[in-house]
Amino acid sequence: MTEIDSYPELLRLTGYGSKWSVEQGDSVDFFVNCDGPDSYRAELVKLIHGDTHPGGPGVKEEVIDSPVNATYPGRPQTIHAGSYGMVLDRRPMRVDSFTMQCWIWPTMPTKVGGYWSPGEQMIMGKWADDRGYGLFLDLDGRVCLRVNGETVTAAEPVRDRAWHFIAATFDAETGCAVLYHEPQIRYALDPKPEPVESVFTERAAHTAVPFTFAAHPGHTEPDSTSQQPHGWVMTDHYNGKIDAARLCSRVLTRLEIETMKLGAAAGMDERRGVGPSAELGSVMVAAWDFSLEIPSRSIVDCGPYRLDGELVGLPARGMTGHNWSGTQLSWSADHRDYGAIHFHDDDVDDARWTVDFTVTVPADLPSAVYAVKLTTDEGDEDYVPFMVRTPLGEPQAKIAVIMSTTDYMAYANEHQASNFGSLEALVYRTPIMAPQNIFLSVHREYGYSLYDTHSDGSGVHMSSRLRPVLNFRPKCDSVITQAPWQFNADLHLIDWLIQLGYDFDVITDEDISYDGLERIEDYNVLLTGSHPEHKDGRYLDAIHAYKDRGGRFMYMGGDGFYWRHTFHPGYGRGEITEMRRCESGIRPWQAQPGEYYHQSDGKLGGMWRFLGRDMAAVSGTSMVAQGFDVSTYFMRTPESDDPRVAWAFDGIEYGERLGDFGLVGGGAAGAELDNVDTTLGSPPHTLLVATSAGLHTDAYLTVTELILTNAPGHTGTQHPRIRADMAFHETPNGGGVWSFSSISYCGSLSHNNYDNNISKLTANVLERFAQDGPLPAPDASEIRARGRFESTPALNYHLPEQIGI
Amino acid sequence: MIPIPQDDATQQKMLSEIEASVADFHGVAGFSVLRTETPGSAIGAHAGIQHDIQLDRVLTRMRMQPTGAFGGKLIIVCTKLEQEWRIARLSGIRGIPPKFVDDRVFTDEQSAQTEIFAMRLEQYPAEDGMPEHCIPAWKARGENWGA
Repeated sequence: MTEIDSYPELLRLTGYGSKWSVEQGDSVDFFVNCDGPDSYRAELVKLIHGDTHPGGPGVKEEVIDSPVNATYPGRPQTIHAGSYGMVLDRRPMRVDSFTMQCWIWPTMPTKVGGYWSPGEQMIMGKWADDRGYGLFLDLDGRVCLRVNGETVTAAEPVRDRAWHFIAATFDAETGCAVLYHEPQIRYALDPKPEPVESVFTERAAHTAVPFTFAAHPGHTEPDSTSQQPHGWVMTDHYNGKIDAARLCSRVLTRLEIETMKLGAAAGMDERRGVGPSAELGSVMVAAWDFSLEIPSRSIVDCGPYRLDGELVGLPARGMTGHNWSGTQLSWSADHRDYGAIHFHDDDVDDARWTVDFTVTVPADLPSAVYAVKLTTDEGDEDYVPFMVRTPLGEPQAKIAVIMSTTDYMAYANEHQASNFGSLEALVYRTPIMAPQNIFLSVHREYGYSLYDTHSDGSGVHMSSRLRPVLNFRPKCDSVITQAPWQFNADLHLIDWLIQLGYDFDVITDEDISYDGLERIEDYNVLLTGSHPEHKDGRYLDAIHAYKDRGGRFMYMGGDGFYWRHTFHPGYGRGEITEMRRCESGIRPWQAQPGEYYHQSDGKLGGMWRFLGRDMAAVSGTSMVAQGFDVSTYFMRTPESDDPRVAWAFDGIEYGERLGDFGLVGGGAAGAELDNVDTTLGSPPHTLLVATSAGLHTDAYLTVTELILTNAPGHTGTQHPRIRADMAFHETPNGGGVWSFSSISYCGSLSHNNYDNNISKLTANVLERFAQDGPLPAPDASEIRARGRFESTPALNYHLPEQIGI
Repeated sequence: MIPIPQDDATQQKMLSEIEASVADFHGVAGFSVLRTETPGSAIGAHAGIQHDIQLDRVLTRMRMQPTGAFGGKLIIVCTKLEQEWRIARLSGIRGIPPKFVDDRVFTDEQSAQTEIFAMRLEQYPAEDGMPEHCIPAWKARGENWGA
């Protein structure tokens, strides 16, 4: 069999906007990479439907007249991925003789051939272009000290994911260089670590480069044309943790190095301080403590010169240090065990491209989903979407759709098909990669989703929207469903609302999180997207208050309100989101022990369920199973005839198969499914009005948080709770919640030219919920005490005589 | 682990089942190795993995292979939106894209599923995961999703 090496050129045109939610009258910057063609055209379009499947209505968009619609000169723009720390050049760091020391926990000491970011790895120092001093990992994974172009290298390579103490001294007078490399754990058959020595011929040459951690500048002068911070463009990124970095201005003895591990204790007197003696302290240049100011972009120097620095690229903080004892699990409880920063060569906080053009959104441009459509004469095409919202407190419709921007960030540029071979077992067929997936498999600098691992295998727990996000696009299928997912799937709903003539505003997760209740309280009804899984606490607070005050909430998807997010306080509104995967939930990776607490706010991450806030209390149903091969349909239950809810089924026969069609898996009940579960927080008066029928295949499995003991019986053909429950319950003051409980639901809305029972049911619910004033009160007899008893599993038994055995 | 069948009769039976599934799922936004109540519908799952336990297990064993094992995992690439698909092989290395294995172009979204199964019958050994296959790599777990 012959491998074909030639590969078509893919995605020469990519871009991103400075905002995903833009207020009427506000502006948004656009950044475009046009790698090849001389020019490209930009056009403002309103996005309506983005699913290209021939069985559906096809792509729908409307060009909006705008001064931005024009041809622009094309130019390539690249992303400089990789996180690092940087302390701008200061005289004290221009040392002659020195001692550098730190702890490292390297995660990729060596790299395979063909790896996207080859090269050595800078640990710390002030070095570029064969000038200066620094500690490195060489290509063989060995620690080395370099002064200008001269190198002394440890005898043995480091072990990945193990703490090593490293130190280097250099005597500028004699040229003597000594390198210590001491693994914290020495296994029985490990060689004894011995220091290595060499004599260098030159003193360190000093340049204007900053002192850096986890990368070094490519050149000794900044690039004034670069958008990188201070013009320093970095290279040779390090993968792994660095902890307790120190710099001293003379050669220390091994004993002094040991003492210096304790760091700075300024102003030591008879009653305080355990730091180095006055003699040793007098040669201290810097003693960085990365356990301070963890939620920020700063690193703090506790030494006498205040050589504080900045972090670029969003490395992981709140990471366990070399001294982590395991007795505290949170950096906010005791930061002293959390002095490590974990750097990755594929971290991205901001693409930092140059602005190509700016769109000023007219104050009278209706709230909707828009995009700047980019095209070239040579057939290249990209879309950069954004949502236009109304000014705060000034809704322009009774209905609002919440576009799940936190989810779009969580899934941003996911690499599951190329990174995780056994994704195929999850989706139960061979996945189909789109050109975007292929592009991302090469262009690792575009960064990852929260479903990915970094190159070194550690989980990605932060995602930025300040970069091209190639699956936040119309005309985009997911490898998971072979159909639209998240943004493009939510356009199924947008299209249906427009097609049926409803007036609605568009808002985003970010708007609710930052603006609170005022953003939503004047709408009669809110509709979520197809998979509102990732939410921060502020969002949930606002939704809860909205429901309690008589608001109506239509949960249009499955697996919602599942993971806890926070927005990073060191960045702008909604720009960076954080989520840690802890000990339960569906996890493509798991955070390391002691690293479950967010660096953004010091609080426990993970599933909302295990923070006492199960999604059942938000939407009335709770995630039970997922499977991605095919979907099925719903059937009504007897409770659908209850007068409290029978209005929803006007025009729908009891025995109809609801949604035995659709653009996501071929049915309305599929992908991810939720159940009514009063034990988790579904209100006791919840009506379970329809449930999935037909068959869920064995591709569907119970969620891991429900598998306490891993016994057989947790697949779709065998487990009675693997089903999607459609449910309704009233909320106080005339409010209500309707849960469709399936990700694939919205994919069924357009079937048969929008004339189908899913469309009918959705319209019935929407029109009831969109009415002014409180919903009609249920019959007075419905006001009665309800325990959970009526629905407890204990009642799911039958006496033998009842079933005739 | 369950052996991958080597006899022609079983292999042909499995291939026929997948081929029939491909026909049933023509035009469906999704795919599974099973038959449906009518071509073009995903409803009414029967046959295929629903009835042939050996087929289900062999498919799953193949699907659980790590990305780079046995020369790299086969995958489908959509090369022209909703019109053309080709078979490629994952590299397992971050930075090296999947490479097309041949110049065949499929004009049905599901067709390559059968071809890939046929290729995997040759790619993967009948037996794997037994004591005689033990290598040092067994001592470290790879990427997530299990395998």
